Amino acid sequence: MSFFDNHLLNIVIYLPLVFAALLWMLPSGERGQIRTVTFIGMLVDVVFGLWAYLKFDPAGSEFQLEYRARWLQELGVSYHIGADGLAISLVALTVFLGPLVVMASQTYITERVKEFHIALLVLQTVMLGALLSLDVLLFYIFWEAMLIPMYLLVGVWGSEDRQMAAVKFFLYTLVGSLLMLVALVTLYFITGEPGSRSFDYADIYNSLMVANRELSACMAGPAGACDNLTGLARTLMTWGPWMFGAFALAFAIKVPMWPVHTWLPDAHVQAPVAGSMILAGVMLKMGTYGFWRYAIPFFPVAAREARPFLAALAVIGIVYGALMCLAQRDIKKLIAYSSVSHLGYVMLGLVAFTGEGATGSAYQMLNHGVSTGALFLLFGFLYERRHTRLMSDYGGIARVVPLFTATFVIVTFSSIAVPGTNGFVGEFLILLGTFKSGLSLWLAALATTGVVLGAAYMLWMVQKVFYGGLTHRENQGLKDLSVREFATALPFLVLVPVMGLMPQPFLDRIEPSTERFIARATLGAPGADVPESAVRVTAMALPSADVAAAPNAEPSSGSLAARR
Amino acid sequence: MDALKQFFMTAPVDPAVFAQSLWLIIALPLLGAFVCGVFGKMLGRANVYLVACAAVAGSFILSVLAFWAVSHVEGGSPVAMESAFSAGRIRYAIGYDYGTWFSAGDFRVNFGLMVDHLSGTLLLVITGVGFLIHLYSTSYMEHDEGYWRYFAYLNLFVAAMLTLVLGDNLVLLFVGWEGVGMASYLLIGFWYTDNAKAWAGRKAFVTNRVGDFAFLIASFLLVMMVAAFAGQANQANFSQGGNQGERYRAGLVEKGPLSFQALENLATALPVSTDKAPGVAVTLESTIEKGPLAGFTFGGVLTVALLLFLLGAAGKSAQIPLYIWLPDAMAGPTPVSALIHAATMVTAGVYLFSRMSYLLVLSPTAMVTIAVIGTATSLLAALIAFAQDDIKKVLAYSTVSQLGIMFMGVGMGVFWAAVLHLVTHAFFKACLFLGAGSVMHGNADETDIKKLGGLRTEMRWTWATFLVATLAITGIVPLSGFFSKDAIYHGIHHSHLAGYEWAAGAVYYVGLVIAASTAFYMSRLYLLTFEGKRSPEAKIAHAHESAWPMTMPLVVLAVLSVVALVYALPLMPGRNGMQPVMENFLGPVFSNAERIAARGGLVELDRSVPKLGDYIFAWLVAVSGGVVAAFLYLKFFPSKAGQPAPAWARGVRRFAQNKFYVDEVYEFLIIRPVKTVSIVLFKLLDTLIIDTVLVRGTAWVTARVGSALRYVQTGDAQAYAAVMALALLGGAVYALIQVLQ
Repeated sequence: MSFFDNHLLNIVIYLPLVFAALLWMLPSGERGQIRTVTFIGMLVDVVFGLWAYLKFDPAGSEFQLEYRARWLQELGVSYHIGADGLAISLVALTVFLGPLVVMASQTYITERVKEFHIALLVLQTVMLGALLSLDVLLFYIFWEAMLIPMYLLVGVWGSEDRQMAAVKFFLYTLVGSLLMLVALVTLYFITGEPGSRSFDYADIYNSLMVANRELSACMAGPAGACDNLTGLARTLMTWGPWMFGAFALAFAIKVPMWPVHTWLPDAHVQAPVAGSMILAGVMLKMGTYGFWRYAIPFFPVAAREARPFLAALAVIGIVYGALMCLAQRDIKKLIAYSSVSHLGYVMLGLVAFTGEGATGSAYQMLNHGVSTGALFLLFGFLYERRHTRLMSDYGGIARVVPLFTATFVIVTFSSIAVPGTNGFVGEFLILLGTFKSGLSLWLAALATTGVVLGAAYMLWMVQKVFYGGLTHRENQGLKDLSVREFATALPFLVLVPVMGLMPQPFLDRIEPSTERFIARATLGAPGADVPESAVRVTAMALPSADVAAAPNAEPSSGSLAARR
Repeated sequence: MDALKQFFMTAPVDPAVFAQSLWLIIALPLLGAFVCGVFGKMLGRANVYLVACAAVAGSFILSVLAFWAVSHVEGGSPVAMESAFSAGRIRYAIGYDYGTWFSAGDFRVNFGLMVDHLSGTLLLVITGVGFLIHLYSTSYMEHDEGYWRYFAYLNLFVAAMLTLVLGDNLVLLFVGWEGVGMASYLLIGFWYTDNAKAWAGRKAFVTNRVGDFAFLIASFLLVMMVAAFAGQANQANFSQGGNQGERYRAGLVEKGPLSFQALENLATALPVSTDKAPGVAVTLESTIEKGPLAGFTFGGVLTVALLLFLLGAAGKSAQIPLYIWLPDAMAGPTPVSALIHAATMVTAGVYLFSRMSYLLVLSPTAMVTIAVIGTATSLLAALIAFAQDDIKKVLAYSTVSQLGIMFMGVGMGVFWAAVLHLVTHAFFKACLFLGAGSVMHGNADETDIKKLGGLRTEMRWTWATFLVATLAITGIVPLSGFFSKDAIYHGIHHSHLAGYEWAAGAVYYVGLVIAASTAFYMSRLYLLTFEGKRSPEAKIAHAHESAWPMTMPLVVLAVLSVVALVYALPLMPGRNGMQPVMENFLGPVFSNAERIAARGGLVELDRSVPKLGDYIFAWLVAVSGGVVAAFLYLKFFPSKAGQPAPAWARGVRRFAQNKFYVDEVYEFLIIRPVKTVSIVLFKLLDTLIIDTVLVRGTAWVTARVGSALRYVQTGDAQAYAAVMALALLGGAVYALIQVLQ
């Protein structure tokens, strides 16, 4: 037991915050220093993040690298963090984007440089915290805290209409989150007796799981068998759909699913390049991650009932998002709507409840972070040069900026899932999983049309911007990618084929999480035959007071309840 | 003779050892693409030429070794590879599995490569013709600034095409399938500064994506069908193919359901009905019990999957309804048209169906649809070719037409002849395209055949090779095209599909019309370009012959289009007398299809060899088309020069010249509606209803309610007290009423 066994995730989470504090002490005029310090902070975080990623053992227990300490004990809260396969993969994605975001903003941001970088670092910490929390209240705190730096990024450093977009983003996501808070507190009260109530993920899940098993058993029985339910199962039967709805709405807004997606185009269009990259790269996955970790496992019965509805919304998202892209003239808006379409795939794979679908969905979360993150990054470079987002203001610039064009086209191929690039593996698995899921075959076929539409709108945009004769004299003098810019794009260019041709190391880490997710989701089927050992969450128990003070000491005996 | 035979049957490298190096065949051109693409500008022109050509040449040498290895015979027993799905070994094949690509749930795909006689033949065509075209390109692109980009794309294409034929499962094939589409997109739009050319590239990619959409769904259906089969089949099923159920299921776990071996073993274990194979649990007629396909029959699902594959193949191989991209694809450099849009990529559909011949013979419905689509496409394209004046457009439509003939062959079960025609077509059509490129190169990029003419004396080599290739495609004895086309026609005429007896005759007679039409438009093309006098409208007064790197490939290809006829001659001993060489050679690949067809009785495949009378008849048909063209363009039209054509003739001509307005119909029926719907949805639903009315509406209502309530908050304590008192009173009254009731 070394220091890192206990604290690796803590380091990953709080390192950016430490650097933010460091920045705070620097004079705001020292821009170069501020950028360098932030960059170093992000880079060190990559080292620790990747260390954690590699240390994660796919064959090990569900949650690894756990750390738990006493905190607000009277409320049943504890400071509990840990990573499962999906969380650690998303953590890897988040830390990977960190330094690139800093590099991308080097010339883009010239005002309030210090505040900007502090916001970036704080955002990094809260995002990582939200992914790694194993205490539901802790998760909620991080989840809500994400809004603030993002609000500032859009509202302060955005383009012309930034205030409107920032407020819209903030209020939109807040509405869902508040409903989720209500459901969360309700859960806290119904899952435990007074005195033993807990916000811990494992405690809440395990109580709900027992009730859900009762519910699914009685649903398979004769009509009216469910009328005799008592206790938590009874409550879940009546109120489960409502609570699921509250969770689902909060996460659906974040994803965003159709029809609660309209904050996204505005936020993306107005956000600075860093904001767009983080928003598309990590934040949208918080929604799908929430479905995966909370909404569906907590309420499998309600989730199963809502499944056709969610799947239909996801497919609408795929097709509708793609159609929206065809109607855009603004490049950033087009990429934003393409996110709606791609996240539709992720949601579809998630609600397919099949091994292929869920694995593909998790992988597509990573892929989307890479490909759409790169698209926003590259467009950011272009925007810096010309300060316009309209396709019609470009045209034929491939001749002037060949390296930029080549990079953009490669990322485009990744975005439209050409086999050999990362996008293909995810999309293929999701669609296969959907076909196998028992959802309507027509629905699955309709989702597959996204393959055609995706190529249509992305290549249309590439054509409009890069090919043909040069249409604007102003573009004559555009500069090609600088060394710094190319260095920022290079990691994406490397990841595209690597994740496309060697996906298995990534999938291996996701797989155990997938299996558990499927088992937990299947629990909602009437008469589901899932052994308890396959779904029960085992997590670290709360250490006793002296252990918390000295984490390396042997824990003393004594039950949790007694100490409370 | 025996020594020669012995030489060809002994591979220089142990096949089992060589199998492990199969990946190099793909890796070489891929490396070439990387080097040319990334370092091309630094390396300079000559080095890029060297790298690109050497990569393909190296691939060619490895392909020859691979080809040699699959013909290896040792001690009377041919080379064979282990099968993961059955105890039997696959004869005349080598393969190697490089481990998992990805796996999730029950699904798995491996990086498995395999060479048998079918893919071996295609390997030689791709790398051989590919090398010649690389060589040709070094001269053709000598003045182009983007040479390094060009060769990177070209190498990338070769790598993707090799993946397509080497993959031992459908997903890896799909990698190549989309990879060639991507390379084709890049090459069609190579001169991207011309908007029309870039659009043509995009049109090709998106049209192909429509096909790929169908391909994907078909693959998913097969995955589910294999799963259902593995669950329901009993040992009697597997005994049909001399296999064990456990072995098959273990194979599924090891190699995944989309491996070709999984499909082949499924086909052999799936009889047509229980009367043919008593005791089996699953036949084509039985219903799938579990899973998402529950309620459908195996035969029905298979037919739907094959029809979807047909749509996929129609995209790649330019058949109705997706052929529209190919003529526009001529926007790319001419060597690209020769390599991608004539010799290799567009034949992928034929390869796909030949590869899955064992599944095809289980579904006469799918087969007849393929044949009919092929026939219709072939005829339509031939008719459009009548009126095209662009030398490359004529060749493009001719390619569509010839691909249609291959589809006719595949659809009627004459697989070997279809593959033979694929090979000979690769030779003579590449020769024609490269010849056209040479003509353009020597005539200041003039493509209008009305403005050429009389090149016979000015471009000797180009003329001679073009003539040979024209005679080959027209079907004149003794060139290869005659034999391969006639082999298809003969097979079509004598094969039978259960339930579609009319097909053999109908396809055959329409085929004769196509043959005559081919002779007509090709003769027209040849006569207008090379014979007669030089057109007064020509861009330059005298054409110049091209340099040796351009003429040498032409000569090689012309020679090949003659000598390839050997493969159609009945020289090899077969079961029923002498067999054509190619049929004998591809025998091991199609043996399972033949066995399944013979057992099931749904398809009757023809084994007979054409007689002299058949040959003469076919020859007369071809000559008649040529004679009509010669009469019209050498005698009739020149004598009528200066007189206006009748109105009906002009109308027909305009109709054909505008490609029967198919593009316009698609534009009107599909593209416009999609665009309109998306714009309407965006303006109306997204912007107005969702964003303005619902989202902003909520905010607006909240704000209004807030400002309305503001007036209530007056700060007047007396008013507050009054409201409180009233409310209390009201509450008390209500309580009283409740109590009294």
